[in-house]
Order: sequence, then C-alpha cells, then structure tokens
Amino acid sequence: MAVKIHVEGLSAWYGAKKAIQDIGMDFAEHEVTAIIGPSGCGKSTLIRCLNRMHETIPKARAEGKVLLDGEDIYELPAVTVRRRIGMVFQKANPFPTMSIYDNVAAGLRLNGERNRSKLDAGVLKSLKAAALWDEVKDSLDKGGAGLSGGQQQRLCIARALAVEPEVLLMDEPCSALDPIATAKIEDLIFDLKKGYTVVIVTHNMQQAARVADKTAFLYLGKLVEFKNTRDLFERPDQELTEKYITGRFG
Amino acid sequence: MPEAAERKALESGLRRLNENMATLAELSELAIRKAIDGLRRLDPGVADDVFTLDEEIYALQLEIESTCVDLLALHAPVARDLRTITTSLKITTDLDRIGRYAKDIAELTLQFHAKESDHARNLGSIPQMAEMTIRLVDRAARAFVERDAESVRHIEEEDDSVDLLHEQAFHEIIGRMKTGELDAEVGARYILVSRYLERIADHAVNIGERVVYMVTGERAPRIRAAARAKGDRA
Repeated sequence: MAVKIHVEGLSAWYGAKKAIQDIGMDFAEHEVTAIIGPSGCGKSTLIRCLNRMHETIPKARAEGKVLLDGEDIYELPAVTVRRRIGMVFQKANPFPTMSIYDNVAAGLRLNGERNRSKLDAGVLKSLKAAALWDEVKDSLDKGGAGLSGGQQQRLCIARALAVEPEVLLMDEPCSALDPIATAKIEDLIFDLKKGYTVVIVTHNMQQAARVADKTAFLYLGKLVEFKNTRDLFERPDQELTEKYITGRFG
Repeated sequence: MPEAAERKALESGLRRLNENMATLAELSELAIRKAIDGLRRLDPGVADDVFTLDEEIYALQLEIESTCVDLLALHAPVARDLRTITTSLKITTDLDRIGRYAKDIAELTLQFHAKESDHARNLGSIPQMAEMTIRLVDRAARAFVERDAESVRHIEEEDDSVDLLHEQAFHEIIGRMKTGELDAEVGARYILVSRYLERIADHAVNIGERVVYMVTGERAPRIRAAARAKGDRA
C-alpha cells in the first residue's frame, strides 16, 4: 500500500509544554489508521499537525516533517493542505444558521464555485458518500441543526467530503453518538477508505479494532507501538500497550 | 510504567476460568490414568469411576464454555486475556475428547474376557504407548496451568513416537489375526485401544500448540511427521 502521509521527527508544543515527541510513522493510502491512547497523550495534537490545524492555536508550534504524497505540508499553503486533508471533529458542528444544502455547499463556495448545477452535483455526491442522502433528500432547505446527533455528524462528514479531500482526519467522531449512530459512522468509514485515506482518533478500543487497518498507541506524547490492528490487539509487543488495551492502566 | 489498575469483574472471571481449567485438566488426566490401569489389570470395577469422571468432565466443560462466553460478551477482552479465553475454549474440547476416549477404553475393558489368558501379550506395546500418552497429556496440561510455552514447543516430536508404536501395534495385531492366532473381534478391540491412545496423544499435541499461542501469540506451523524426520522444522 502506497504511503499517503509520511511523518518524521514530529514534535509539537503548546507554549512551553511539549505535547508530542519525535513521532515517526506512515499513513497508508486507502487504509484506516486508528490512534489510541489515554486522555492527554497527544492523539488529537498529532492529527491536528497533519493538516496544519495545530498552528492555528496561539503559541502552538510544531517541528519535524509531514509529507503528503512526498510534499512537505509546511511548504504548501495551509489552505491547500486543509482542502486536501479534511477534518471531522468530536462534536458535530454544522453551521447553525445554514440549511443542510448550504452546509455541504459551503466549502465548494469558499473555493469559488458558483455554478448551481455543479453545486447541486457536489452536494448530492457528498451526501451520498456520507450515507445521509436518503434521510435528508426531501429537506435540503431545512436547518442542519435540526438533525439528530448522528445525522449532524454525517452532515459534517459530507461537508468535509464536498471539497474532495484525499485524506479525512476524524477526531473521536462517535464519542457523542448512540450505538446506532456510531454503527452508521463505522459503516461509513468502512466505505470511505475505498476513496480516501482515513485517520481516526478514538477512545473506544473496540471501535479501533472494528474499523482500522492499522492502529497506533500513543502514551505521554510518544508513539509506543504502531502495527496492524489485529496484531496490536491480539499480541502487542509492548507491555505498556498490553496494559492499556486490557484496561490494566492506573 | 503506570500503576496496574484493577478490573475486578474480569479478573475474577479469569481466575475462575483458570481454576476450572486446571481442574478439568486434572480430571481428564485422571480419567485416562484410571482407564489404562483398569485395562492393564482387566479390572471392570474401574470402568464406573471412569464413566463418572467423564460426566464430571462434560459438566465442567459446559461451565467453562459459559464462563468464556460471559467474559467475551461482557468485557470485550483483547491481547493476553483474549488469547487465554479463546485458548481455554479450544482446549476444553481437547480435554473433553480425552475424557471420552478414556470412557471408550473403559467400555472396551468391560468387553475383554475377565480371564483373557493372552491379555498381556495382546496388549503388546500398548502399555508403553499409554505411559507416553499420559506423559504427553500431563506435560500439555501442566504447560497450560503454568503458562509455559517452552516445555511444549516441540511436543509433536514426542507424539511421533506414539504414532510409531500405534503402527507397530496395528501390524502386530493384524498379523496375528491373519494367522488365526487372535480372534478378529478381540483383535479389533485391541486395535481400537491403540487407536484411542494415539488420538489422545494428538489432543495433547493440540493443547501444547494452543498453549504456545496463548503465551506468545505465535501460531506454530503444523509440520508432517515425515517432513520433521527430514529436518524441515520451520
């Protein structure tokens, strides 16, 4: 599997506090990579470095290399990086005053698309890819905030997909969802990897085991273990990983 | 390294599982020891003990299965815990089968004539085979209880000797049946005893292979005896 994102010697700080230390790993194209670890271990910081979101926080900085298809993302315009590497957050955050249609079309419009039929096609394609089309096709002009939590999260995924990214970063996308909505997102992730490279941060170990091809375990900002998900959960190499995934962690 | 946290319900379930597995292994081993003792001495009185043991083994196997299902469903175990539970599930079947073969040997013992004059001769290498088989079962069960992968890593090599003795017993008995020296029905029963012992040894090998996986996470490749003899061990 080709490498989509290559990370080398990546460290990140919030002011003087180092959040991640010297991370090196490859994210394979058309694979789902899960990042697990206890709260505060640097999971979110790591994925926020992958699309230059980390640097938007005051006093935050990062060092090291992140190559997207071999190109250093810190040498590309940040906007280009974020278009190619989309992100979905823990809490669904549709634009509250916008309709479902406009939420999905927002990214396309920001990129200068004004042609209505192209916008229509983009909205249709994205809502279908996010497995939401059938549920909202008759209410596209209604507010996105009126949808259920799970539908809002899929709307956010549709909005991220609309600008046709190559990579989708998901930061605990199911943590606020019930099991049925969670199952829909997990099904969606399974389908999305055919066309995208997916990186998911999750607190739910079973979710990582279900959706991810590879899993990385982070602890205190360091990459402890990174391998095929099945191997990591069946026979981890590191005692620390074993303790964490079996729940024997103080 | 962070302090170990307790997972009380899981730990207590795993503890119960381990205790029951150790008991199951003891019962299976006892069943085969008793069955062989009864066979050697042509003592029909032992058979009842073996039948009772077989029932206890089956009941305990069901209890273990139910514990494993609960642990899997309630705790979604991973890593060593998962390997312990799935290995236990697999091994219970082997231990149950060993108990069933012990019962089968006890049933055959009942069919041998109490004053079978040629019994010792008819048994031939069977007692030796039984010793080796019991030793294999004991080693496999001990390896499980003590989580000792190394002691069973090459257990299949010892099974080759049991297989060889089974072959010998088979040809010896068939030879005597052909000449009319040994009644076909009686001879067939001795062959069955030999065959059951050979199968018990195979189950001991299964247990050994599973223990290696449980302890190390490695799945040992299965190599045919002929290839092993040629030194093709991976």
